[in-house]
Amino acid sequence: MGWGDAEGMLWTRGLLWERVWNAVGNFLFKFLVIGSAGTGKSCLLHQFIENKFKQDSNHTIGVEFGSRVVNVGGKTVKLQIWDTAGQERFRRETYNSLAAWLTDARTLASPNIVVILCGNKKDLDLEREVTFLEASRFAQENELMFLETSALTGENVEEAFLKCARTILNKIDSGELDPERMGSGIQYGDASLRQLRQPRSAQAVAPQPCGC
Amino acid sequence: MEYEDKAGRPSRPPSPKQNVRKHLDFEPLSTTALILEDRPANLPAKPAEEAQKHRQQYEEMVVQAKKRELKEAQRRKKQLEERCRLEESIGNAVLTWNNEILPNWETMWCSRKVRDLWWQGIPPSVRGKVWSLAIGNELNITHELFDICLARAKERWRCFSTGGSEVENEDAGFSAADREASLELIKLDISRTFPNLCIFQQGGPYHDMLHSILGAYTCYRPDVGYVQGMSFIAAVLILNLDTADAFIAFSNLLNKPCQMAFFRVDHGLMLTYFAAFEVFFEENLPKLFAHFKKNNLTPDIYLIDWIFTLYSKSLPLDLACRVWDVFCRDGEEFLFRTALGLLKLFEDILTKMDFIHIAQFLTRLPEDLPAEELFASIATVQMQSRNKKWAQVLTALQKDSREMEKGSPSLRH
Repeated sequence: MGWGDAEGMLWTRGLLWERVWNAVGNFLFKFLVIGSAGTGKSCLLHQFIENKFKQDSNHTIGVEFGSRVVNVGGKTVKLQIWDTAGQERFRRETYNSLAAWLTDARTLASPNIVVILCGNKKDLDLEREVTFLEASRFAQENELMFLETSALTGENVEEAFLKCARTILNKIDSGELDPERMGSGIQYGDASLRQLRQPRSAQAVAPQPCGC
Repeated sequence: MEYEDKAGRPSRPPSPKQNVRKHLDFEPLSTTALILEDRPANLPAKPAEEAQKHRQQYEEMVVQAKKRELKEAQRRKKQLEERCRLEESIGNAVLTWNNEILPNWETMWCSRKVRDLWWQGIPPSVRGKVWSLAIGNELNITHELFDICLARAKERWRCFSTGGSEVENEDAGFSAADREASLELIKLDISRTFPNLCIFQQGGPYHDMLHSILGAYTCYRPDVGYVQGMSFIAAVLILNLDTADAFIAFSNLLNKPCQMAFFRVDHGLMLTYFAAFEVFFEENLPKLFAHFKKNNLTPDIYLIDWIFTLYSKSLPLDLACRVWDVFCRDGEEFLFRTALGLLKLFEDILTKMDFIHIAQFLTRLPEDLPAEELFASIATVQMQSRNKKWAQVLTALQKDSREMEKGSPSLRH
């Protein structure tokens, strides 16, 4: 993901990524959780959906899903969360299956993508390898939001998802994001999916989805 | 029966409380006893009428309790008989497998009778043996080869744990960093493989076996390496075979075309498999197929997990083993047939769901999935489309995609 090698084992690089859909007056935001293996992506999702820590969890193969309806600034927003596998090799496969809206989001340029960087496992403070300062500087340089989270204690987990949702809504309010325009992008997205699926050799590796 | 035991216990040191109700032939378990207690001395005694009423109520409760116990006993007896019958049939099946089928494997394994018995599920005690035979050993892997690969893997672990990182010539192209990442990932994933069984994790009885098989495989096939999903397959094999035999079955299983396509993450080929699956999906379940299409629900969303782990992560383990039984016999086709069986079993509810609910449902199947119903559903899946079998459909699609790749550069100009 171009995150460099500065990451320590305890630092989840969970990227929550969205695109907007306008579904009958209510908003449907799609979030994608990506990051290295064992950084706690599924646990973040589980904490957010179930409000508890997932103790004995298998590792994710392919994609797992979660959804939750939240209220942000008086608006009802449905979050649809795609939780991906961590192994690099696998990730490419996942991206391809997400091609429909990934390519779409990419063609609609980076202001439409809201990314939050989560430094997870905040509870393992003794094993910390990246300081808060380092990580927040990194986030600033790359124009990302940033939070330190703990899927174990639940600290900042809800906040991370809501912060993302709030930012998207603010962008819609300020006109930076236009759901109508995004809506028209859906059809375009389907067309680009068909294009992408056919010339396989040209798209063997899914492009880096994050705009930074 | 429990109740009679208790009630019939004659000699108990009488406590003050028991004195009160020692004339009763029932030892109450709960506070129902309280209604028979005389009131504490500092309160007025119960009127005779009330005492009588309480006694009556109490006796009714006792009658009800007796009824419940009797019913429960009958249920347990029935359950026991059921289990005995099952055990007997398993016992018979074990005898048949051991005495008739296994000694005459070559001639018998594809007979009608064996196929029927096979479909019922292979008894756990012979399962490993049958799997080994059915998977075969095309790669001619010997126990010695396993030992060599394992020794090399151990050398590597030692090397990385002591911080050394000399690169061996033979592995040129697979950087030390890659290998280290792979070894780290194996360690991480073992702790996350059937964690609820508590046998593969650090300190568990099968931890070292799982570690050995995955490590040896990365030495045996450095070009494939460790890919997530493998640990589940190795774990299921370990539950049924000795380490070396599990390794042999593991390597041969992964060497099958479908598994190789997936574990090498050969994108084009995976898409071909998904396309072939969709041919049979549409053929068998046209309504559901249309519903999935409408909702943009592509098969990769659920098939990746199912195929990579051979259902061992998504189905209850005993049921997954039954799928493996037939998969070992029928090959990759059965994996896709099982997928269609699952979709068919849940067709009604899936048709009522939207994208996210279908995706959630299929990536997290119900835990109490009924084995017999699933197999009945799988049995009704037709693996023939316009007179073409699975392999023929797949080959045709593969040819198409190869031609398209060849043709695409000119098309682009």
